[in-house]
Amino acid sequence: MKSALLSTAIAAFALTAPALATAEVSKADVLANYSDIAAANYGDSVTTAKALQVAVEALIATPSVETLQSAKAAWLMSRVPYQQTEVFRFGNAIVDDWEGKVNAWPLDEGLIDYVDASYGGPTDDNEFAALNVVANPSFTLSGNEIDASQITPELLSDTLHEADGVEANVATGYHAIEFLLWGQDLNGHGTGAGNRPWTDYAQGEACTHGNCDRRAAYLKAATDLLVSDLEWMAAQWAEGGDARSTVTANEDAGIVAMLTGMGSLSYGETAGERMRLGLMLNDPEEEHSCFADNTHNDHYYDGLGVQNVYLGQYMGADGTLVAGPSLSDLVGQADPVLDVEMREKLSRTMLALGRIKTAAEAGFAYDQMLERGNLGGEALVMGGVAGLIDQTKSIERAVVALGLDQVDFEGSDSLDNPDAVFQ
Amino acid sequence: MMRVFALCLMVLPGVTLAQTPVQRAVDVHILPGFQALAQQTGALKAASAVGCTDLEAPYHQTFDAWMGVSHLRFGPTEVEDRAFAMAFWPDTKGFTPKSLSALIADQDPVVRDPALFAEVSVAARGLFALEFLLYDDRFASGDTYRCGLIRAIAADMDRIADDILADWTLSYGSELTTPGGDSRYRTGDEAAQELFKALSTGLQFTSDTRLGRPLGTFDKPRPNRAEARRSARSLRNVLLSLASLRDLAALLSEGHPGTAAELDAAFDRSIALAERLEDPDFAGVTTPQGRFRVEALKNSIDEIRAITATRLGPQLGVAAGFNSLDGD
Repeated sequence: MKSALLSTAIAAFALTAPALATAEVSKADVLANYSDIAAANYGDSVTTAKALQVAVEALIATPSVETLQSAKAAWLMSRVPYQQTEVFRFGNAIVDDWEGKVNAWPLDEGLIDYVDASYGGPTDDNEFAALNVVANPSFTLSGNEIDASQITPELLSDTLHEADGVEANVATGYHAIEFLLWGQDLNGHGTGAGNRPWTDYAQGEACTHGNCDRRAAYLKAATDLLVSDLEWMAAQWAEGGDARSTVTANEDAGIVAMLTGMGSLSYGETAGERMRLGLMLNDPEEEHSCFADNTHNDHYYDGLGVQNVYLGQYMGADGTLVAGPSLSDLVGQADPVLDVEMREKLSRTMLALGRIKTAAEAGFAYDQMLERGNLGGEALVMGGVAGLIDQTKSIERAVVALGLDQVDFEGSDSLDNPDAVFQ
Repeated sequence: MMRVFALCLMVLPGVTLAQTPVQRAVDVHILPGFQALAQQTGALKAASAVGCTDLEAPYHQTFDAWMGVSHLRFGPTEVEDRAFAMAFWPDTKGFTPKSLSALIADQDPVVRDPALFAEVSVAARGLFALEFLLYDDRFASGDTYRCGLIRAIAADMDRIADDILADWTLSYGSELTTPGGDSRYRTGDEAAQELFKALSTGLQFTSDTRLGRPLGTFDKPRPNRAEARRSARSLRNVLLSLASLRDLAALLSEGHPGTAAELDAAFDRSIALAERLEDPDFAGVTTPQGRFRVEALKNSIDEIRAITATRLGPQLGVAAGFNSLDGD
């Protein structure tokens, strides 16, 4: 009897001890860890972009099937950390104002280089949809004569990017580079991604599609720009950086920024703009990485980024785990049932996004899932959409549970209009 | 919502309770709106079955009815992409003309089978596809396939309107008005938040998208981006959306007379500005004077948005939450 009582007492102690020993997590702790995760995540984005830069330089120096393939592999790796950072966008004005430079999408790729005849020419929305800068050292843009004889990072960022005020004129960032490495995916709903020949970068006689020197210069300029833009953002999250000091300056506003990033990326951006729209339109190129057919990974790592922020954990590209006080801890203190609900929903979303990734990697590409009447594809994509929409409902509940729904610094539209929080 | 409700219970025992604003919104705003839509799509379908000329009037009447409910983007409208299939806009990459051209070029037999047509891209279905077929020179010339396509679109819209109405009538109305239990709304506050979001998102869409898109920038106005400009009903859509949103705002602000009066006056100003505009397709945004007047209208709607966010939301005890316009 005695020993049974004792073990009961030990069991009771073991159950209650952690709760007694754990101090309440504070908003400041959570925000510090959030900033650490952002710093590590953007840091990994820089590291992998630099690896891409090395591979691009090798491709340009010695064009071949192998060097083109290495550059593509480096691009794919660089997307793994970057997509996880997208959860920092919507709540943080400094990120949202900047991200168009590195991840703008969708793009009218004919602005940059040659395209297939089926692409068509200028559209109602975009007069410069088929400008082809690679082939044209000078042209007129909104009434100004542009000297594009030298393709420099400045030409791309200051003159071409969003030329004529049209967002589809994407001259810089991951997707411009993706197009320069893969080329257009002309397979429709059929098998295969873009298939740009390595000879598009061959110099002299072997050059295909003309202007290989200018194409190489464009690719180098865009890659250099990507690295410098990412370095700038990584610095903003380091100790003393603007993004970190802004998000930690007002604790309630900071927590709202975290939740805003999670909710806006889940619902309006990923579930809506990027997933459901493509399915509704049955358009094989209405996918986030349409040239490389890497969209399954885009969605997967976006979802993982949302989960990272909630759990306060990030697995780095070198295997270093950043982990600390989390939103999950905060919500758990306020409403333990809601915390369980949120963690379950985030896991379910990751399972659904994982299924899309699994099927895609086994050969059922994302653009094939979008085909009219493809019920298996529709079920896969809608599984992800449903998970993302469902978790958004719980994110809204977390805002209420943390008492942030009536935060009065900028009215109650803070979630609807993230910028307003920081104006 | 529920807090007020509970308070009434305590102070007025035995008295029959007044309906909650959510219940009233379902009864006098949502259900009548979707009934009107189903009626008009039925008339449009019937007219298209008779012939493919003279469809302009039923097209406009259907569009008018849609404007009465286009802000109710939750629940039954979001099942199977119904709302997108009813009205796919904005169409930033020209998917509608592209998809219609593809169907016509292939003489795609999908138009003969309603079940298969329901799987067609949303860009080739609904009001905006129909607008292209009736008003755009590229599509407006008559042939047999075009007529079959028009009939398929009209029948598809009627099916969708009936499905939305059936869902609202049979299940979703009670789900919204009796939160808790099996309802997706856990509390009355969550149900009220849904309607509040419909109001604030509707106002945002009319300001940012219906007016913001054609306004473009001062250096680059974009009249071609006006909603339904081909049938010259861009301004009419703004007016009808304001009328419907005003109706919802009045229902939601019932218990708060000060805010109700403020909202009413703000809607009055916006509607008066819109009525004086005399620019049905916003082509006037290319002139300084015309642009100024559209901007004034937009600013007046943003004032309604401010009252909604800073007064009505806190009084209802709800936050704006997330909406589909979040993101790029």
